[in-house]
Amino acid sequence: MNQTAIEIHDLTMAYREKPVLWDIDVEIPKGSLCAVVGPNGAGKSTLLSCILGTHKPANGWIKVFDVPSEQSDELIGFVPQRESVDWDFPIQVLDVVMMGTYRRLGWFRWPGKAQRDWALECLAAVGMADYRSRQIGELSGGQQQRVFIARALAQDAKIILMDEPFAGVDAATEDTIRSVLADLKNDERTVVIVHHDLQTIEDYFDHVLLLNLRLVAAGPTESTFTRENLLRTYGGQLTLLDEAAEAVRRIRSGRSMGKAGGK
Amino acid sequence: MILPNTLIVLIGTSTLGFCCGLVGSLLLLRKRALLADALAHSTLPGIVLGFLIAGSQAYWALGAGALLTTLLGAVLVSRLPILTRIRPDSATASILGIFFGTGIALLSIAQRSGPGAYSAGLDHFLLGQAAGMLQQEALTITIVAVIVGALMILLHKEIMVSCFDSTFGKGTGMSMGVIDLLVMLLLSITIVISLPAVGVVLTAALVVIPPATARFWTDRFTHLLAISALVGALSGISGTLLSSQRLDLPTGPVIVLCSATLFAVSLIVAPHKGLVGRRLRWIRRKQRREMQRILIFLHENLQGGNEFVARERIIAGSLAADSSALRFCILSGFVEQAGTHLRLTPKGIARAERSISARKRWTEWLDSAAEIDRNLIDLDEEDIERLLDRRSMEIPDMERDSK
Repeated sequence: MNQTAIEIHDLTMAYREKPVLWDIDVEIPKGSLCAVVGPNGAGKSTLLSCILGTHKPANGWIKVFDVPSEQSDELIGFVPQRESVDWDFPIQVLDVVMMGTYRRLGWFRWPGKAQRDWALECLAAVGMADYRSRQIGELSGGQQQRVFIARALAQDAKIILMDEPFAGVDAATEDTIRSVLADLKNDERTVVIVHHDLQTIEDYFDHVLLLNLRLVAAGPTESTFTRENLLRTYGGQLTLLDEAAEAVRRIRSGRSMGKAGGK
Repeated sequence: MILPNTLIVLIGTSTLGFCCGLVGSLLLLRKRALLADALAHSTLPGIVLGFLIAGSQAYWALGAGALLTTLLGAVLVSRLPILTRIRPDSATASILGIFFGTGIALLSIAQRSGPGAYSAGLDHFLLGQAAGMLQQEALTITIVAVIVGALMILLHKEIMVSCFDSTFGKGTGMSMGVIDLLVMLLLSITIVISLPAVGVVLTAALVVIPPATARFWTDRFTHLLAISALVGALSGISGTLLSSQRLDLPTGPVIVLCSATLFAVSLIVAPHKGLVGRRLRWIRRKQRREMQRILIFLHENLQGGNEFVARERIIAGSLAADSSALRFCILSGFVEQAGTHLRLTPKGIARAERSISARKRWTEWLDSAAEIDRNLIDLDEEDIERLLDRRSMEIPDMERDSK
């Protein structure tokens, strides 16, 4: 049974009359690890904000588990881009995770012991319980990502959106984030990630969404992450083209040799 | 002995400080401190217009005028960067200049051609005159302070989300727009009620300094609000008392100086972020590191058959250790001195062995851990033992990686 987690239909999004996303029509199945790939300015982050509901699309609609997103009670977790967070903010790790409980708590009410315990449980699920009273700026890059993932868990989010969690992290941190992602997938959560490194797509993600203002292709990584689709996504951008070619070569050599000659 | 008049002023300035401290925290966290200055300056044309229209210096007329132009200023500051290509900081600075210039021009018109001598006191709003605070002014400030305080208590989590991560707030359906509007409104009202006391020019200082001071003492949002409000109230009280009892100085500037003093004191003595605390921690760390090196060095020599090691080999010798570190070793009973030579005491031997084994275990753990935590790499043997004992049960990263 392959349920659809996110269904986007005819979505067009514009900032000041300039379209940033045009005619997007795509379904993301439940429980998938989905990469959103495309050149700079392709509208990847905008797509995430549309799913999150912070930007209203100019046309089209988004359904979350078959319910229009405006009416949905489903909470969507969001792990922001690292540069967009104020790491000097006077807030401790556990307080960030507790934010995940605020919506269910409602206006005016203070979080209590139940919320604290739940937040701690979520923090423990990403292996960060020891760090609960650190100020967030004192953490390493991977730990910071895990705290925000714990916040999504505290929301009990079935869908988690992440904006470039792998940008500028070292190899060890990348491994840590990957294993947390694997845990999320085992939990049947749907994770949508803006990702830049074409080399690792094939290893990390089972679903891929190629975007360049319009939707170029979407589907399981095996059948969708192909040379033709990448060329259509990145167009004439030469260095990226090389990178894409390199990525595809790796895929081809990694798979059965019989396919290697095929173009 | 406090005169009844002074009591009114005291109530007014302390609740004003409380109120400014609360509202100021939100500005500081939004990185919009300059906004307070721009809004304070944009009250001036409103004050003068209120006076010209009402024909008197009635509190409500001037207040309403000031609130109106402040809100206009606030709207312009927030809309200009969206509608045009002006950057937020330029917009803030321009609005400050334009409104204040207009205010000064209107003021001189009012003083020349206005209804005679009634316009005399208007320029008090430039620098404020807390000592002459009226009962109704103090009452208004107190009421506003109570409302602001209650709103902060009720809405602290919504306000925190709007300051820290408004995308998250919007995404979970919290109305961030309402909160932003509320914060702007509270800021404008706070600025308007503080004008009679501290004036257009100094209001911003009262809004900005208390939260900056509070930031030295805490890493938590709610604590920041509380400390900032406290610092504001304290500055109000001490400034009023100092200026009325001791110095013959205007109250507003003295209040600002008091809060600046609290800021300076915090900068120096705050335990975690203060200069002295940081310096002391650094020195202690350095000394313990050197002590460890001395003990290990002596221990290595002991194993090699040298029980006694010449002092020069340690101080500025092969170890280049500080003599204060060595003194510390001797004082702690780890090392004893025999003439020009040094040797480990039995206690020192035990300590050195403990330190060596802790370091060994620690490097092993670091080698196998997936990521290194900058805060954790330089530790004493006690910390290492405590950490490793606790971690040996979970060490999630290690196990995952070895598979």
